[in-house]
Amino acid sequence: MGLIQRIRYLTVILSGIFSIFLFSKTFAQQKSFSSPAKHTVSGTVKEKQSGEVLIGASVYLMEHPKNGAISNSYGFFSITAPAGRYTLIASFGGFKQDSIQIELDENLTQPVEMVQQSFNLQEVNISSVKGNENITKPLTGVQKLSVSEIKNVPVIFGEKDVLKTIQLLPGVKSAGEGSVGFYVRGGGADQNLILLDEATVYNASHFLGFFSSFNSDAIKDLTLYKGAMPASYGGRLSSVVDIKMNDGNNQHFHASGGIGLISTRLNVEGPIVKDKGSFIVSGRRTYADVFLKLSKDSTINNNSLYFYDLNAKANYKMDEKNRVYLSAYFGKDNLGFGTNFGINYGNTTATARWNHIFNSRLFSNTSFIYSNYNYNIRINSGTNNIVIKSHIEDLSLKEDLQYYVNSKSKINFGLNIIHHTISPGVVDASAASSYYSQTLQNNYAWENAVYISHEYTASDKWSFNYGLRFSSFSMVGPGTFYSYDSAGNITHSQTIPGGQIVKTYFNLEPRFSTSYQLNETSSMKASYTRNVQNLHLLSNSASTNPTDLWIPSSLNVKPEIADQVSLGYFRNFAENKYEFSTEIYFKTMQNQIDYKDGAELRANANVESQLLFGKGNAYGLELFLKKKVGKLTGWLSYTLSKTERQINGINKDQWYRANQDQTNTIALVGIYQAGKKWTLSATWVYNTGNAVTFPSGKYELNGQTAFYYTSRNGYRLPAYHRMDMAATLLGKQNKKWQGSWTFSLYNVYGRENAFSVQFKDDPNDLSKTQAVQTSLFRWVPSVTYNFKF
Amino acid sequence: MNSLNIKWILFFFMIWMLSCTKVIQVNLNDSSPQIVIEGNLTMGTGKYQVRISKSVNFSEANIFPPVSGAVVTITDSVSGITDSLSEISPGIYTGNLLTGIPGRAYGLFVLSGGQIYTSSSKMPQIVILDSVTFQHNNIFNRTAINPVVNFQDPPGVKNYYTFTQTVNSRDLKNTFVFNDRLSDGKYIRQQIFSDSTYIQVGDTVSVHMNCIDLGNFNYYNTLRNVTGGNNFNSVSPANPVSNISNNALGYFSAHTEQTVQTVAY
Repeated sequence: MGLIQRIRYLTVILSGIFSIFLFSKTFAQQKSFSSPAKHTVSGTVKEKQSGEVLIGASVYLMEHPKNGAISNSYGFFSITAPAGRYTLIASFGGFKQDSIQIELDENLTQPVEMVQQSFNLQEVNISSVKGNENITKPLTGVQKLSVSEIKNVPVIFGEKDVLKTIQLLPGVKSAGEGSVGFYVRGGGADQNLILLDEATVYNASHFLGFFSSFNSDAIKDLTLYKGAMPASYGGRLSSVVDIKMNDGNNQHFHASGGIGLISTRLNVEGPIVKDKGSFIVSGRRTYADVFLKLSKDSTINNNSLYFYDLNAKANYKMDEKNRVYLSAYFGKDNLGFGTNFGINYGNTTATARWNHIFNSRLFSNTSFIYSNYNYNIRINSGTNNIVIKSHIEDLSLKEDLQYYVNSKSKINFGLNIIHHTISPGVVDASAASSYYSQTLQNNYAWENAVYISHEYTASDKWSFNYGLRFSSFSMVGPGTFYSYDSAGNITHSQTIPGGQIVKTYFNLEPRFSTSYQLNETSSMKASYTRNVQNLHLLSNSASTNPTDLWIPSSLNVKPEIADQVSLGYFRNFAENKYEFSTEIYFKTMQNQIDYKDGAELRANANVESQLLFGKGNAYGLELFLKKKVGKLTGWLSYTLSKTERQINGINKDQWYRANQDQTNTIALVGIYQAGKKWTLSATWVYNTGNAVTFPSGKYELNGQTAFYYTSRNGYRLPAYHRMDMAATLLGKQNKKWQGSWTFSLYNVYGRENAFSVQFKDDPNDLSKTQAVQTSLFRWVPSVTYNFKF
Repeated sequence: MNSLNIKWILFFFMIWMLSCTKVIQVNLNDSSPQIVIEGNLTMGTGKYQVRISKSVNFSEANIFPPVSGAVVTITDSVSGITDSLSEISPGIYTGNLLTGIPGRAYGLFVLSGGQIYTSSSKMPQIVILDSVTFQHNNIFNRTAINPVVNFQDPPGVKNYYTFTQTVNSRDLKNTFVFNDRLSDGKYIRQQIFSDSTYIQVGDTVSVHMNCIDLGNFNYYNTLRNVTGGNNFNSVSPANPVSNISNNALGYFSAHTEQTVQTVAY
């Protein structure tokens, strides 16, 4: 019955999609009958030298500047206009503007190839660059970063890192010193959907959070949606970080790489068939453990401490209408302390995609996606030889269609189907061990969604992007499923056979945003979004650990729901050289999850009995000023915000500030092109200290001093601030070899920022107690040599 | 599963990262003095004591005012006998009437300052600690020697344990908690971790094993939160879950007690 139900359900979804598709098609045809002959020019925007497709390039007709399109994730654009002779203009940051004469007397395919700008930026006439999509597009809370933009931003250990750079944007906060974990607009660290070529990356960090999983050599660009995401995205409350990998050069073979303090990188790319297909392989490995191995001391040299990752991608254009992409990621961390303890963990993802251009107006992408995150812990303690394994695995299908109705209207619709398998834990203990081997029941779930959205330019002033996402989440058997009362006692249990549904949640997620253009250089925008999250991370800490547990929505755990409204003012200055924006947002969150004091989250079949549920609020003001061109580029971002939680069972059921509630956050980023050889850069960050729980008293217990707490997160850590600097020196530059040195210094003025504060008896005077602050990373210098040939 | 402590790894990782510490001034709020009740009852006649004191503000010296003149009684739930404890020194109450017997529940009643505090605790059956052995752990350039406790966990019942250590007549601060949630009926060989002191070969080490009830396990298990460091990798600190009513701090525990003394090797 379960299977039949599911088939019927899928059929309904598919027929729904199909009828929307037919409707929009008829609609478009009717329109074309009633007006004079219109034709469509479509194509793909590429970089000329490498053949890499360019995402987000602006393409429009010079004669009708309003009639334009932004190239999609695969570089595709489509513009419909009355028959005639036009000049097609393409512009993209850091590239020379391209103009092509076209004769639009029939539907036309027009590839666009753009050339990168040289270093002498001041010579480029930027006045003709359109570059004001930030004003005209009805999107709020969106930040785009390309790797070329972030390559000069200084980071710790000289490892370029997209997830660290986004922490310098308004509304995004760092999860801690040197951490790649982040919070968006008051949400939790697990409420960010991180996609690498559409595949979910469940743990985007290496080395306990000090490095992200993303080797910037392999990354093309990143888009961050701070809540107001288009209907095609779903599954997390706070944000979507959509990361696209490079496609590889389809003209020439190239290799590039870098040798740094922490890691060595190598990147190889080239054509499979010139102009038709290319591949790219990027690898990275750290070598802290190599230094450990150099030690003669066996207590040091038998420790392991490294990570590596590998990105690979290939694409092939079969004909003008069909293109396939294969991309894969594999990353692994290995931490081992002698023979006693070891942990390794990592993500594996694979994406197979097929772009199909039905006609010049209808673009389709079909993706099959695999994603896996697993960890293994090994403990050898006397006779206790224990291995613990856990994984989460997704298989998914995404179908996405983009229909360019006319120059004012674009419809995006599609469906997602994800099958989740979560293995919470397999404990394999030796016979003589103090523990039993055990296997916790796997959790299986289907997470499905259909969506449609309409991007519509109603007039010169008004634009809309509105849509609806209908999502469902079904926990399915086999297994035994329990219900619990608020005290955590089992009230009901049922055994469900394989494939049968235990519990389904349906949710409608409306997404609406609009922009009103005040004049050529400024606009107002507003949005409302509902997001739903059905996979929840149970973490023993404020940030995330490699061994944190994902649990699905179930009989006891309800979907998390967030509603966000935001309002923004966008303005460009000095012919779009400067971008300014300010946004305010208000967000409410339902069914937020925390757990009881002393909760047993590990190897516990009744883990749901340990949970507490509540709600959250977040609101704030964000300011952003960016200088995009010239010798000096960079940005200033400021956030004023508050985020709080109310969870029954915590803080006497009263509202309290969330740990990441930082009232003021400032980031200043400057990059200066000093002549042809040197690039200098600096960042400065400041934030109010995190909300933390400090004692308000002390008492004696079992002959020792214990501390008395009155409220959760009632205090703050000292304010955090830090300056980093970097300098890049270009070495020999010729056709065969291009080399550069990057020198960087983290925490230039050696600020001792509080990583933690502990309270204890004063070792010099046991009649007193003291507060002891621990800081990490003062003055971390690094040097990296990068090469390309 | 206490050995699966990610914080433990992070601790060593941070040493490797050359972290630095300093004493800082923090302005902490004052709080009204809270009553702290520490009640212990173990096997044998007259083996019980209740200590009552008050909390002080953080900035004050570690002098915790005892609470005198309280009415303190303990009741044996099987015999029904109630002993009214007498204050032998300020804030310390003892008696001689009752005998601690495994399997029996005991009730605590305290009347102080017009407030009533009650609790109860059941003494579990005794589990015999066979021996204490030692394990050497090599982590970076340090060798940590930890005692290993060896005992048979009784099958079919839930058992909760605490372990404390005395090294060369000095009591270590940590109370190590263990339960048989994943080990029921197994022969247990468990390393006792401690993050304050390293044992040296030749030291005289006494390991004290108590069998406690669930309420006290919850207490000791959450007591660790009190020492939370507020870094991004630890839970928010909170007061431990007490088994005494009326928001008193502390606990009342009827438990078995056993000590094995050896020389570290």
